[in-house]
This record gives sequence, structure tokens and C-alpha cells, in this order.
Amino acid sequence: MNGRSRVAVGGLMVAALAAFAGPATAQDSREITWLFSRPTDGPVIATVTEVADLYAQSHPGFRLRQVTTPDRPSYLQRLETLAAGNQLPELFDTDATPFAEKLRNAGHMLDVGAKLDEWGLRDAFRPAALGYQMFDDGSVYMLPLEMQMEYLWFNRAALDAAGLQPPATLEDIPAMCQPLRDAGFVPLTVDGVDGWPLMRNLALIPFRLTGNDYIKSLKRGDASLGDEPGRRAVQWVYDLGQNGCFQAGFSADDYVAARNLFTSGQAAMYYMGTWEIGTFTDAALDPAVTSNIDFVTLPMTAGATTEPTEYIAPSGIGMAVNANTYDPVVEDFLQFLIAEYPDRYAARHQFSPLVSEAVTDGASPLFVRAIEELDRLGDTVGVPWDTQLDPTSNTRMQQELVLLATGEITPDQFIETIDAVIAEEAPRFFGE
Amino acid sequence: MRTLSTRRAVTVFLAPAVILYLLAVVMPILQSLWLSLFEWDGIGPMKWTSLDNYARMARDPVFMSSFRNSLVYLGINLFFQVVVALLLANLLLSVTRGRELIKTMFFLPTIVSTVAIAFLFQRIYALEPMGIINLALDAVGLGDLATAWLGTTRTALVAVSIPEGWRFMGLYMVILYAALLAVPKDLEEAARIDGASEWKVFSRIRFPIIRPVWATVMIMAATYSLRGFDIPYLLTNGGPGTSTELLTTYMYKKAFRSVDFGYASAIAVFIVIECIIAVGLIIVILRRGRQGEGALG
Repeated sequence: MNGRSRVAVGGLMVAALAAFAGPATAQDSREITWLFSRPTDGPVIATVTEVADLYAQSHPGFRLRQVTTPDRPSYLQRLETLAAGNQLPELFDTDATPFAEKLRNAGHMLDVGAKLDEWGLRDAFRPAALGYQMFDDGSVYMLPLEMQMEYLWFNRAALDAAGLQPPATLEDIPAMCQPLRDAGFVPLTVDGVDGWPLMRNLALIPFRLTGNDYIKSLKRGDASLGDEPGRRAVQWVYDLGQNGCFQAGFSADDYVAARNLFTSGQAAMYYMGTWEIGTFTDAALDPAVTSNIDFVTLPMTAGATTEPTEYIAPSGIGMAVNANTYDPVVEDFLQFLIAEYPDRYAARHQFSPLVSEAVTDGASPLFVRAIEELDRLGDTVGVPWDTQLDPTSNTRMQQELVLLATGEITPDQFIETIDAVIAEEAPRFFGE
Repeated sequence: MRTLSTRRAVTVFLAPAVILYLLAVVMPILQSLWLSLFEWDGIGPMKWTSLDNYARMARDPVFMSSFRNSLVYLGINLFFQVVVALLLANLLLSVTRGRELIKTMFFLPTIVSTVAIAFLFQRIYALEPMGIINLALDAVGLGDLATAWLGTTRTALVAVSIPEGWRFMGLYMVILYAALLAVPKDLEEAARIDGASEWKVFSRIRFPIIRPVWATVMIMAATYSLRGFDIPYLLTNGGPGTSTELLTTYMYKKAFRSVDFGYASAIAVFIVIECIIAVGLIIVILRRGRQGEGALG
């Protein structure tokens, strides 16, 4: 037998042994990879690492390889490249975006909702947390690992200085801006570089008027931005700009710059999620500022159909499971994760997407108040528009929105442009 | 026999570089060319669309404005990196004390990271709180001119172009300065004795001698500018609106945000063609200039 034959026979033997060994079991553990798009030092990754280490102790050979890309555009680039090359890892982060829906339709994602039903674990999750991860047909293909609420944060001292009360309706806000300017404050700080924070403003009135129905129709081109919910929202953002609510030059201010205006006491209001509570209570900041930080939930508007306890409450980017690499090892680890994650995550003073006992000992008053709000959270939670629109319409809307808010285009021009873009691009993602 | 062995030696030594070039440059371009003939979202099957992606460019207003923006960006960069750099290199010749310090100061931005430069200029241009430009305007009584330089469509494109032009200006200044040092001093002296002005010395002696280096600088600066991406992307992400969107940033967004790989590839092919045309134009202009001088001489 020459060398080449020996190699061929050896290869056949290895293949035969592998075939006789049968499919992998949870006991035959191995390395699995999770593609994260979360802060490296954040509570989700810290908790997942803790759980994975615990799992590895009882499952020799198991290792969770974490590949982290916190910057979202870079992460999406990586995800799309891997998907195009059919190289997705066992677990990966994604929102319920049109791109994720395409991955689902191509059979790359496991029906996590069906698995939760099979394991009897659906009730272990807060309905709002699972609801946020749903596609339009109600199916769940991502597991939530966090729970956040978006509030209008304000600096009580700034409002007092201007003789104002926190806004009761969204329409109150444009009227508050001049008094706040006169008192020496930036009325409402916003990040104009990243697109999504400004876009949140556009989503608020339509959510109050229709829940998520309007955006579900708009993204398919079945509704127009010129319809009442859209037109009122567009006009409201335009009014915010015309009333000098945003900081001058906001379109060049990134997330940190916008946030710093609020945490340094220069800005009076800031619309943002509860993930910033840690920043607002940072001991390194001026206590004169942090002690005055307070919040209201999403103000109401005339004709609202959603309740005051209903607002945008994202359960963050979800974790998807690659259907092509799903095996007993992945299944066993997922069940272990769902069992071990909630209490450990809550112990870090975080809002758990799974039903668990809140840990408030040693937590800040802001966190305690937010926990109370979480318990009151209604059934309908708003979805951010950037997770709903097709990517091209999303990008264009964010770009044009800056021009609308700076008054460089009129509401009618904005509506006309975006309607045309959605009409052109939506069919590529949602069909004719 | 000796010729044959020399040819073989040349082939052997050139082959690795040529193969690497074919694999790393030519093949991706050809792949992009092929992909540009399809519609593909990276997940489903590729759909043959022939030249539709190229036809789409003509009716895409964002593509057209990105193209215009890229040309403005190129013009501003060439002004700094070729014109101002040449001026500085000439001035350096007459500096006797602190020349090395000045060279280092101008060269320094070349080695500073892009992110740091973007952050620096974000602060320099800021309006709230005021950056150094607006503070300076305020200090000299021109406070009314203070604006958010990156935040308004009128000024944003120029504002994002300047950091890129400034960043590599020192590099090209050093290259041009090295070329100017090689100009024979006796020729200049003779011209001056004959009564030639400094402009005549520059235009008739120095510039014709350094023309090949200047052409290289011009080609490098033009192609780098046409491929410019990082500073505009970091500073404004193409905004406000699409006022600082360049072909490169638009291509990136089409590929990795819109997952429209076919159209993005068509834009990539367009950028390659644009670079080839730019280099061709520079060579033609330089040849004509040389022929013109020959005729005059």
C-alpha cells in the first residue's frame, strides 16, 4: 500500500467511525460560537459568560466562543458577509429586521418560539419582551436577553429655572423650548449622527395614535407618510426644529456628545432608554446634575389609542439560533441559559426579559422607579421604526429627517421623498 | 544567451508581484464587474439583471449627488495636497532655521489615526459648545458667522474635505521638497543673474525638473481622494441629508445597509473607472504641458 492509498483508507476509517458514532449528544460537548453586538463590558455578556462558565464545569469540552462587535453598523456588515458566505455561527444577534426575515425565510434561523412551546418555557419570558422580538406574523425567532424602557428624561432644576412642568402631551414640548433657551439650556439634546435617536421622535405620535399598525402598513407602502399619523409626526419634528428645541449643530453630534450635554447639565431634556441609568447615576458626574435627573413615560397626544403605560420598550437586539448548526449541544446550552440567566442578570441591577425577582438592594432611586414602571408596562409596546423599515428607506428617512429638523426641507418635501423611496424599495424586502 | 537569462531573471523576480496583483486587485475588480450584472441580497439566489444596475445609477438622485460631492471633495483635496503642498515645499527651501521642526509639524497629521483626526475636527467645528473656529470668529467680532460647520448642508462638504486635505498635505510637501532639493542650484543662480523673477525661476526651472514627481503626487492624491471614505464617514456619516455622501460611503451603505450587493458592485466598478479616467486625464494634461514647453523652448 503506497502513501496515498494509506491516507485514503485512513480517511475512510475516520469517516466510518464518525458515521457509527451517530449524531452529537449534549454529553459530546464542543465549542459553539456566539456573534455578539453588545457592549463588551455590559451586563448581558457578563451574565452569559458567567452562565457559560458554569455550564462548562459540568460539560467537559464545552466552550462558548464569543465574537463581539459592539458597533452596530460594523456588526451588521459582519453578519451580512457571513450570511452571504453561509458561514453563520451557532448563535448570533439580530433584531427582527427585514433582513432577519429574509434569513428566516431562507431557513437559516431556528423557530425559537416553537422551541419555547416545546420546552414549556414561553411563560418564563415577559410577554412584552417576546413581543418585541416577533416578526409581523407573530412568530418568534430571537430570544430577548434584556428589557429596556424609553423615557423622556429631564433635569428638574432646568425646568424649574424656566418655570415649567414636565410635558403632559407631546405637543407641550415644542412650546417649552423657548423658555428653556431663555433660561440658558439646550431644550432637547439629540444625537444626529447615528440616525436612530432622531428617528425615535418620528415614531412617537404614530405609536400613540395607532400602536404599531401604522408603521407596519407604512413600511410596505400600504400607508403614506401623508396620512394623519405620519403627517402629524412629521409636522411635530419640524416644529421641534423650528422652535430651537435641539442643540445647534445637532446633526454632527454623536451619541456621546448628545448624552454629555444632558449629563453635564447643559441640556434640559433627553429621550433615551433605561440602559443609560448607569450613566445618569455615575458618581463621577456632578451630583448637582444627577440628583436632578428625573423622567416621564411617553407623553400623550390628542386622539391617542394607546394607554399611558404603553410606550417603546425594546427588549434589545435578540439572539438568533442558526438552524443549520442546531444540535443537542446547542439545545442543552440554551435550556441551561434560560434557566440560569434571569436571576444572575437581575442581580446586576438590570431589567430582566424573563420573569424574575427584581433586585433593588443597593440600586439607585431611578432604577427602583423604572422597575415599578416595568411592572405597570402595558400589553402593546412600541417598536422602533429603524427595525421595521427596509434598510434603504430607513437610511434615507434618517438622512432626510435631519434636513426636516433643521428646516432645510418642508414637511411636504419630506413626505414626498420618503413615500417615493418606500414605494421603490419596499417590494425588494416585502414582496409586491 | 545573456539577453535570455536577463529576461528569465526579470520574469522570475516580477512574477510573485504580478501574481499577487492579479489576485488582490484585478480579480476582485473582475468579480465586482460580474456581480454588478446581478441583483443579490446575499441570501437568496442571484438574479441576472444585465446592465440594469448601471442604468439605475443614472436615475438615482443620491448616486448623482454623491458623484458631484466626490468631485468637490477631490478638488479640495487636490488644492491642499498638490497646490498648497507645493507652495509650502517651495517656502521650505528659503527657510534656514527650524526647517526640520516645520517639516515634522506638517508631516505629523499623516501618522495620527483617522478616528483621532475625526474627533479633533468634530470639536474644532462644533457650535454647541463652541469649537475653536467659532470661538475665533466670536473673538474678532464676527460672531454672526459662527455656524455648525458640519451641521449645515452649505458648509458640511467643505468642512469634511478639509481634514482629509490637511492630513496628507505634509506627506506630499515632504515628497515635493525632496524633489526640489534635487534641482541644480547653478541653473537657478544663472537665471537669477540673468534677471529672472522668482516666479520665472519656479515656472521655467524648478517645476519642469520636478514635473515627474509632481505627476506622481497628483496621481496619488487624486486616486486616494476618489477612494476617500473614513473621515467623511466618521465625521458626518454622509449627512446632513446626503450633502457629504461620497460615492464610497454610498457604495458602503448600499452593500452593507441595504444588502444590495449588485448595485454596490456597480458603484465600485464606477469608482474604478473614475480613478482610471482621472489618472489618464492627469497624464494627458502633463504631456500637453510638456509638449507646450518644448514648442516654446
